[in-house]
Amino acid sequence: MSMPPPNVPSKGKSPQSGTPPTSQLGRSNSSSSSSNVPAPASAKTRSPKIKALTPNSLIADIKSQNPSDPDRHVAVDPHVLAEAVSKLDMIRSVPAPMSTVTSPAASAAASGASSPKLFGAGAGIGSGGAASTATTPGEGGRLSAPGTPHFGAQTALLRTLDETTRVLRQSSKAPSRAPSVSGIGAVIEKPDYSEAKIVVAMVGLPARGKSYLSNKLMRYLRWLEYNVEVFNVGQLRRSKARDQMQSGQGKVDHSATYFSHTDAKATRKRELLAEESLESLITWLKKEGNVGIMDATNSTFDRREWIQNRISKEPNLQLLFLESFCDDPQVIATNVALKVQSGDPDYKGMSREDAERDFRKRISEYERVYQTITEPEISYCRILNVGQRVTINRISGYLQSRIAFYLMNLHLKPRSIYLSRHGESMYNVEGKIGGDSDLSPNGWKYAQALPALIKDNIGDGPLEVWTSTLQRTQQTGSFLPFEKKTWKSLDELDAGVCDGMTYEEIEEKYPEDYESRDEDKFNYRYRGGESYRDVVVRLEPVIMELERQENILIIAHQAILRCLYAYFQARPQEELPYIKIPLHTLIKITPMAYGCHEERYPLPIEAVDTHRARPAKAKVASGNASVPEPEFIPDVGVKRDYFGNAHGIGLRPEAITQALENQVEKGQLTPKAASKEVEATEGDAK
Amino acid sequence: MAAPLYVTQSGRLWHAGLILIVTVGLPARGKTHISRALERYLRWLGVKTRVYSLGDYRRKVLGGAEHIPSDYFQTKSPRSEATNTLRRRIKNEIEDQIMDFFTVQGGQVVIYDANNGSVAQRKDCLQKFESKGVHVIFLESMCDQEDIITANIRSVKLSSPDYAGWDADKAVADYWSRIRDQAAVYDTVTADEGPFIKVMNVGERIEVNKIEGYLQTRCCFFLMNIHTRPRTIYFARSGQSLIEHSYKADSDLSPAGWEYAERLKAAVIARRKALREEKKARGEAVGDENNLLIWTSARRRAYHTAWPFVHAGYKVAQKPIMSEINPGVWDGLSTQEAMELYPDEWQRFEADPYAHRAPRAESYHDLSVRLESVIFELERCQDDLLIIGHASVIRCLLAYLVGLPPNEVPAVEIARGDLVEVTPASYGVISRAFHFWSGEGRGDAKGENLYENFAESTSGKGSVLPDSGVNFTADAQNMEREAEAEEAMDKEAKADQLAAAVKGRVLKRLGSSTDGTRSAPSSSLPGVEEQRDGEMEEERTTGSDGGYGETVSDNEGRTEGSARGRAMSILEI
Repeated sequence: MSMPPPNVPSKGKSPQSGTPPTSQLGRSNSSSSSSNVPAPASAKTRSPKIKALTPNSLIADIKSQNPSDPDRHVAVDPHVLAEAVSKLDMIRSVPAPMSTVTSPAASAAASGASSPKLFGAGAGIGSGGAASTATTPGEGGRLSAPGTPHFGAQTALLRTLDETTRVLRQSSKAPSRAPSVSGIGAVIEKPDYSEAKIVVAMVGLPARGKSYLSNKLMRYLRWLEYNVEVFNVGQLRRSKARDQMQSGQGKVDHSATYFSHTDAKATRKRELLAEESLESLITWLKKEGNVGIMDATNSTFDRREWIQNRISKEPNLQLLFLESFCDDPQVIATNVALKVQSGDPDYKGMSREDAERDFRKRISEYERVYQTITEPEISYCRILNVGQRVTINRISGYLQSRIAFYLMNLHLKPRSIYLSRHGESMYNVEGKIGGDSDLSPNGWKYAQALPALIKDNIGDGPLEVWTSTLQRTQQTGSFLPFEKKTWKSLDELDAGVCDGMTYEEIEEKYPEDYESRDEDKFNYRYRGGESYRDVVVRLEPVIMELERQENILIIAHQAILRCLYAYFQARPQEELPYIKIPLHTLIKITPMAYGCHEERYPLPIEAVDTHRARPAKAKVASGNASVPEPEFIPDVGVKRDYFGNAHGIGLRPEAITQALENQVEKGQLTPKAASKEVEATEGDAK
Repeated sequence: MAAPLYVTQSGRLWHAGLILIVTVGLPARGKTHISRALERYLRWLGVKTRVYSLGDYRRKVLGGAEHIPSDYFQTKSPRSEATNTLRRRIKNEIEDQIMDFFTVQGGQVVIYDANNGSVAQRKDCLQKFESKGVHVIFLESMCDQEDIITANIRSVKLSSPDYAGWDADKAVADYWSRIRDQAAVYDTVTADEGPFIKVMNVGERIEVNKIEGYLQTRCCFFLMNIHTRPRTIYFARSGQSLIEHSYKADSDLSPAGWEYAERLKAAVIARRKALREEKKARGEAVGDENNLLIWTSARRRAYHTAWPFVHAGYKVAQKPIMSEINPGVWDGLSTQEAMELYPDEWQRFEADPYAHRAPRAESYHDLSVRLESVIFELERCQDDLLIIGHASVIRCLLAYLVGLPPNEVPAVEIARGDLVEVTPASYGVISRAFHFWSGEGRGDAKGENLYENFAESTSGKGSVLPDSGVNFTADAQNMEREAEAEEAMDKEAKADQLAAAVKGRVLKRLGSSTDGTRSAPSSSLPGVEEQRDGEMEEERTTGSDGGYGETVSDNEGRTEGSARGRAMSILEI
């Protein structure tokens, strides 16, 4: 290696030696005369790009600064400035760190496992993009694993850079400047979605998968940080009936009679309920929402026209109809069976046969008046047999086109998604984050045990394996006899300057930054790296592709799997960075009608725990003291939420209550009138 | 340019089979625009796609309008037998070429750009190709706004060889009569004819029938995002930063970088003015000026290069997905060091600079895949756009817009200090480059372009790449003087405003107060209010404090010293 040693100016070799030594600012102010500054070192090989900075110009006008001006920053002493400039030049020439940590050959040998031939060539992403990384460990493809990168927070370089940057900025004459920055990262604000306001009105007969679609859409958009609520008329109806029963007013009849379309009173009752639901939706949307999904049958031209007229009175709301049309008897039968088996309170105390008969009767009541969407003037998305065919009409705007594209990618074929972290890596053992280290001996054991575990689960079924481009996931998948794809997008969250450090090191070197990350972990972006939000954005195409696939095993990393898991299990952003995804555990997620069924298979192979709980201090600071550490609760959200009070899924009752209260406040609805209406309705039902 | 997620053995993607997209629509409905845009996107996805234009082929065979039989476009009365034979011949020839593309050349998608205005024509076409195993989709382009059509005629059709040497108004009238003739016998596509996508007013509305499968739904999503509103897209690199060679350091701008930022703003403003003048000179309608949006990456050097725009109240959006190509373990290395530390990797990298991915790094291919959502947003954006970014990102986006093959992408030369202007037109895009800055950070002593870091640089990549690589630097037109003048003018105007405002304030103060003592003029710098060292708050997506003039006008609450300080430091420059 022939690199210039640090701190030694290599004047003769400097590529800048041929050019005049005036810097930019030197030209803009030539009146300054301070030049008793050491000649800056020039970075010969790496940074031929920046000319040596001469501080002449930078200290202009310091004399004229008013010392009593409170806005003024520290007057920059010429010598301080000169020192800063020479420091800056010095750190540019610091040579690349020679790494000795975790040589792949060494760790593979230590594991005792034979170095498997890794997939890569051919299985990689197109054009051989992935092929190159799949060098068999020990073959000498890489001299050594990457160690401390330049400007990693382990070294003093970063701090020196920040300090010199600050000095330069204080003395700079540039006419307008952005605020200065420093440290290892920052909390990034959420993008502004306040202009996106869409009403999605579902259309379709009962048992056509409307609730399935609306829940699915809600999960997707919430995951992308839109504020979404489903306003389900059925839930509202059942909640009211339950309240009525609990208050001793007797059972409300919600058998097919209630859904009769020849009974004017029953029809009016249902209409009132739908109107109430829509009003809450609008109120909520105007206040804080982005997408309000009205989950009701909306099965006639008249109903849709009424909705259109109502929404057109609101200047900033867009309306999109989403019809789920189903003519596949098998799909309908499945949906009906699901309905009568799942403990729908409408059918409490009825035999399954009676319930099914009644439910089919209810469907036929609707079928009698059902009018599929043919209106040419409305915006709609019509889905045949969930994803078999999609018609879209008059889609406008970014969010609408995203929704339409998402819906086009859905399918109903039964399948499971398996998530697994890579086996324990050398970095895990050492407590370091990031890196591209190899598996530890225990990690290799997991890799070897994985094929049998998968086989137990899927038998001879088809499976595709997705890994990231990093060694540890490819090694973990190396014994699996399935088609594999490597995705760059599945690479671990980039910890930027903190890559390769332990949490203790970060805490020690950057205590304040360390704390601020804990205060808002989802939004904290590592300098030169990513935040959880950045990861969600880059995973979005993966989700889209995932929705189109059948059985998939994803071998990836903690942060990546947290994001994917949060999508499938509808976990909110504040919980996402704390979801437990332990090592050596296979997570099986099976999409069901109303959520995802989940099973976990921990393998009895020892591994370190890489989970960092939310610090108690941060909980208090962010006001999240009541948010419990997310625990694994099997089958959360798999059951249909009949009343709208399940965690994370469906209608939140407090949202409705709040919305109604707001209406009351604005005088759109008087509490008395509201309750009277309900009473009247329910009274008639008796 | 290509960004396939994976490839199949046949080289055809997503097992989608062969697809013929038949355009349907009256003349001047943007069929060609849509066809070309779709072709560009599909090619970028890695799908072998070609547009076959009946009009172009007819012109190639017959030549200009004077060679076309007078009854060639006639629809009201029967055409002569000779003309019909000629029309049939041309149609059959082009359809044979299409089949040849599918069967011999391994193509997957053909966009057949013709009017296909009658049910009978479409039925013929559908039967002919379906019988050969090609899936046919109709892509109908409709337009219900006459002004869009007339604008389209003026901007596209008049430059067609059909009207070479014609008087503009006469040509427009002739074209309208051609449209009316065809409209009389035009049938819109109906659901029983087969699968279709109908696009109203180029992407304003879209209706889809029997569209299935990944490739087709992607096409729909793409078509939902395009438009033909005239606009211009500018690209410029970020200014010089303090630590150029490190991705991780995410360093701030150097003093030269801050100056570059100011000059860039002036250059963009000057160029936009000049472009309007050019349009006027060509006799094109110049309406209200489009808004200018600025997108940058979330990297400090890029966002801070946009700072003068932020300061002047422009809407500046930071997009983390637009970060430069990640150099992985090569971060901070020189070419020399990378060669020595990673000799094998280096060899592979030299062999295929587009697809090779160094450990933990991104290849250009990875970058292209990452940028797909930006491409959609780019298509969707209706305003003028300035993208301040990194050479690697600009290369990929330009490659998409211009339609470059993948292997050329890493070698595209874009100098810091060049403004690349891309104007979407019917047949593709018109791209030009303007050189507005020769300061520090543009080139080295040998005159070679300097790049932010090793992964961005073209060094080591040129050897295996064709000479035909796009070099925006070499073709750039000089506008340094214009940009400088614009900046000076801008500053002068602001200084005048400030001076006046300060003077007004002083007079007011003198009138209202007898207190004669005032502190000495401060030279507190503009922007100091925003500067709070150590606090990392620069990451807001938009920000504006209204520019200097406005700052003064609503500066009542601030200290006078500060206001005067601002005025002074600006006047001094």
